[in-house]
Amino acid sequence: MNRRKMYAKMVFCSMLRRRSRLALALTAVIIGATVVLGMGAVYFDIPRQMGREFRSYGANLVLVPAGANAALSPRELRKAEELLPADKLVGMTPLRYETLYYSKQGLTALGVDMDAARKTGPYRQVHGAWPEADNQVLVGTDIAENARLYAGTSIVLEAVPPRGRRIKKEFTVSGILRTGGPEDAFVLMPARALEALLGSPGRADAAEISLAADSGEITRLAEQIRDEIPGIAPRPVKRIMRSEATVLNKLRILVCLVTVVVLLLTMVCVGTGMMTVVMERRKEIGLKKALGAEKRSIIGEFAGEGVVLACAGALLGSCTGYVFAQVVSMSVFGREVSLPVFLVGLTLCASLLVTLTASFFPVSRAAEVEPATALRGE
Amino acid sequence: MFLCMIGRAVTRRKRKFLMTAGTVALGISLATAMLNVMLDVGDKVNQALRTYGANITVEPRGAALLGDLYGIGEGEGVADKFLLEAELPRIKTIFWAFNIVDFTPYLDVQAEAEGIGKVTLLGTWFARRLDIPTGESVDAGIINLKSWWDVQGPWLKDDDADGVMVGGLTADRYNIRIGDRIRVEVEDRTGEKRGTELTVRSLFHSGDKEDGVLLAPLAVVQRLSGLEGRVRRIEVSALTTPENDLARRAAQNPNSLSRHEWEIWYCTAYASAIAFQIEEVLTESRAKPVLQVAASEGAVLQKTSLLMLLLTVLSLACSALAVAGLVTAGVMERSTEIGLLKALGAGDWEIVLLILTETLASALVGGAVGYVAGLGLAQVIGQSVFGAAVSAKGLVIPLVALLVLAVAAGGSLPACRMLLRLRPAEVLHGR
Amino acid sequence: MKNILELHDVSMVYGSVTALRNITLSIRQGEWTAIMGSSGSGKTTLMNVVGCMNKPTHGTVILDGEKISRLNAKELTAIRRDRIGLIFQEFHLISYLTAVENVMLAQYYHSMADEEEALQALERVGLGHRAGHLPRQLSGGEQQRLCIARALINHPKLILADEPTGNLDESNQAAVLEIFHKLHDAGSTIIVVTHSPEVAEHAERIVQLEFGRMVRDGAPARPMVA
Repeated sequence: MNRRKMYAKMVFCSMLRRRSRLALALTAVIIGATVVLGMGAVYFDIPRQMGREFRSYGANLVLVPAGANAALSPRELRKAEELLPADKLVGMTPLRYETLYYSKQGLTALGVDMDAARKTGPYRQVHGAWPEADNQVLVGTDIAENARLYAGTSIVLEAVPPRGRRIKKEFTVSGILRTGGPEDAFVLMPARALEALLGSPGRADAAEISLAADSGEITRLAEQIRDEIPGIAPRPVKRIMRSEATVLNKLRILVCLVTVVVLLLTMVCVGTGMMTVVMERRKEIGLKKALGAEKRSIIGEFAGEGVVLACAGALLGSCTGYVFAQVVSMSVFGREVSLPVFLVGLTLCASLLVTLTASFFPVSRAAEVEPATALRGE
Repeated sequence: MFLCMIGRAVTRRKRKFLMTAGTVALGISLATAMLNVMLDVGDKVNQALRTYGANITVEPRGAALLGDLYGIGEGEGVADKFLLEAELPRIKTIFWAFNIVDFTPYLDVQAEAEGIGKVTLLGTWFARRLDIPTGESVDAGIINLKSWWDVQGPWLKDDDADGVMVGGLTADRYNIRIGDRIRVEVEDRTGEKRGTELTVRSLFHSGDKEDGVLLAPLAVVQRLSGLEGRVRRIEVSALTTPENDLARRAAQNPNSLSRHEWEIWYCTAYASAIAFQIEEVLTESRAKPVLQVAASEGAVLQKTSLLMLLLTVLSLACSALAVAGLVTAGVMERSTEIGLLKALGAGDWEIVLLILTETLASALVGGAVGYVAGLGLAQVIGQSVFGAAVSAKGLVIPLVALLVLAVAAGGSLPACRMLLRLRPAEVLHGR
Repeated sequence: MKNILELHDVSMVYGSVTALRNITLSIRQGEWTAIMGSSGSGKTTLMNVVGCMNKPTHGTVILDGEKISRLNAKELTAIRRDRIGLIFQEFHLISYLTAVENVMLAQYYHSMADEEEALQALERVGLGHRAGHLPRQLSGGEQQRLCIARALINHPKLILADEPTGNLDESNQAAVLEIFHKLHDAGSTIIVVTHSPEVAEHAERIVQLEFGRMVRDGAPARPMVA
């Protein structure tokens, strides 16, 4: 039997036949690894997840016509949409503002694609239902209050095209819209219905875009659109970007600090745990020295155990840590966590580092002691 | 004798005692810090979210909205209704007055500016010191409210009678620079035109609809338009609690609530409750929470609190497990001693009691030290993240005490079970 | 025959306690020496010094021609590994290794772990059938025989036994002494530290210690019992 085999045998026998102690040390390493991986995954995923959460604020980039262009054409909008990264685009809603009349009173009608509007404006509260057919509209709460409209009542809207005669059409109010903003005084209707009413081709006065991206990226994309599509003036919504950046930054620092603190303390705990487990074996170290083992080979054996322990612990800890991160992500954000692969490596390194340093010092100190003293056991 | 043994064990095995106490202290300091930060994080993030700007707007009741979304479209149909400037300080007297961070009034009029043409002249407060009825004085105005604006040059002073700030879009389009003089004419309600010459003090970029307007002190705009003492709109920035079902039902119709529910709603800092209270103090007003801001704040707040809660649970579990493991290791080390005690005729209960008492003693010492250290740690986190102290919550103390007990008991009991199974002869022979 | 061990004027002081005072002693190759004395007489200290486990505070120790009192810890370790076989009163076996693995451990630190050879060594002390057992499954006598097998495996120049029969009953003691006799007949140098005259009588030479001083050095009083 060669030396390497004997070495491996000693390392594994020491672990397998001292199960209760091994379980203690392993638990310690697993806890450490869980913290590293779990907190790490949460930390790296927070900007992405929170970024999505901030999208409930609605659009953070608005496109308006530029220069001589009076409106945005569908072709220009498609071009703009192609410039935006698909994975970060939460939604894009072209908006068309027109003046319609309801019992001779002028009001602003906003033509949108209803599905897109729900994506870019999750804050829009509807009492009733969102329109599903082209003859249904949402009425802002201010209008509804003044005109005593409810979900289910019907209203007749009148369009006055620049040339031609007035067109009347009856719509059903599917719901009352509440935003606390200007839209409370608008009628929100499907874009196609507005087009049909006015008889004019599809065009938009503006488009709101919700992007899950940070301010730097939004500014860059805005510049790109400005450069490549002359008819469009993109306007990042500054206050949203700014507060997103502030809050995200604070959150990030918070989680980072918490992670560091938790990590340090867990490492200290894991380290002391390992140390106690090693200290218990001072007699064994003394005996090995008495048998003629060099300090180096004793340290080597403990290091071997440490490496096996750290690897097993890191592996198991990575699993539990991933489960933890997943639970956090699902329950907080309702989305799956994305796990950067390097975190597993990091976990392994951290486990190795802590386990080895924690066993190195007591072992080398024990190996320093004259074997006679160590064997006497005090 | 029992006490004597414990006393001896503590004094003679000082290092072991300190080690257990030390690890408990580490774990508890972590727990204390996390719990304190967790309980305070809502308030702190809420403060940080105030950069979102106003989350409640107040308008005259019955006024049709002259609005435009993101600065697009023409407003029309301005109703002849106003709020009274003199009533504004009352906003700081409502039930949730302390949650009102800032507010500012607006008065917008259509003006004819030389070299620009038709433009909106917007009057507001910049940083007005108000004496509120309760005898205190507070600052209110647009400077704090719009912290995200980029301003080239100084903000205006409220008593600056001939200064104006120009929005970035207008400035770019008409090539206006700081120091330029603009003549502005406003038609008042009687149709008479009043004019004055204003000096451009600074330019601003808001990234919002204000980029197209001229911004002047409220008094100047009131004088020009003959609307002294009137304002059209008030923006209020308040710290609010995330909306829940109750708040949504109240927002639909406050009358649908039972008396009890209504009281809960009124005494909770929901945006809708604060808005309701503002309506109570301002005559003929209609205050509306801006859902775009409120909803998103609510989402972020809830997520953050939940996130911190889960992280706290993880760190609590981890520190409890790690410390319990250490305690177990410490107890197991003493197998020889326990074997001897058993050989001398100690009963199981006496041994368990001995170990539990010893562990508990060191855990209590460690817990006390850890609690104090944890408070310090929480302050470090609070200062470096939010630049503000984290308040020490009383709720943390019983939680921490429970944790100490759980760790001490949970750590020593499995070890005790193992020790009790030992046979004295085997232990003493070191097999 | 040449001296395998020479002690010149060796003293050992622990703090204020003097454990050994000016011991001068030489032991020839193949000799079986018993070191006797009551508790605290310094016999274990003497054994630790000879076994390269402690360095004397004063004096020279020459083992197999090497002045070990001048060596550093690392060199002492090498000497211990190559030339000395240690047998302890408390056996000091590694609890998580089987009997044969405990023997192989000594081989491993010396040169190469060789299972064949280790099994033969166990066979020689009559433990061939228990090679795969863990120490806690062995009786006291078996543990001590395992300890002897471990001490012999590297063919040491000197076998040092500290109270080898201290924890054993009479029949086990006899078995251990029988092994020592065999070793002695095969030419091994043996030093046995003991407080029991019964055990010491088996030796060719008895060195008596009292309060750290050598008070007697000579053959056993009675003729050796075979």
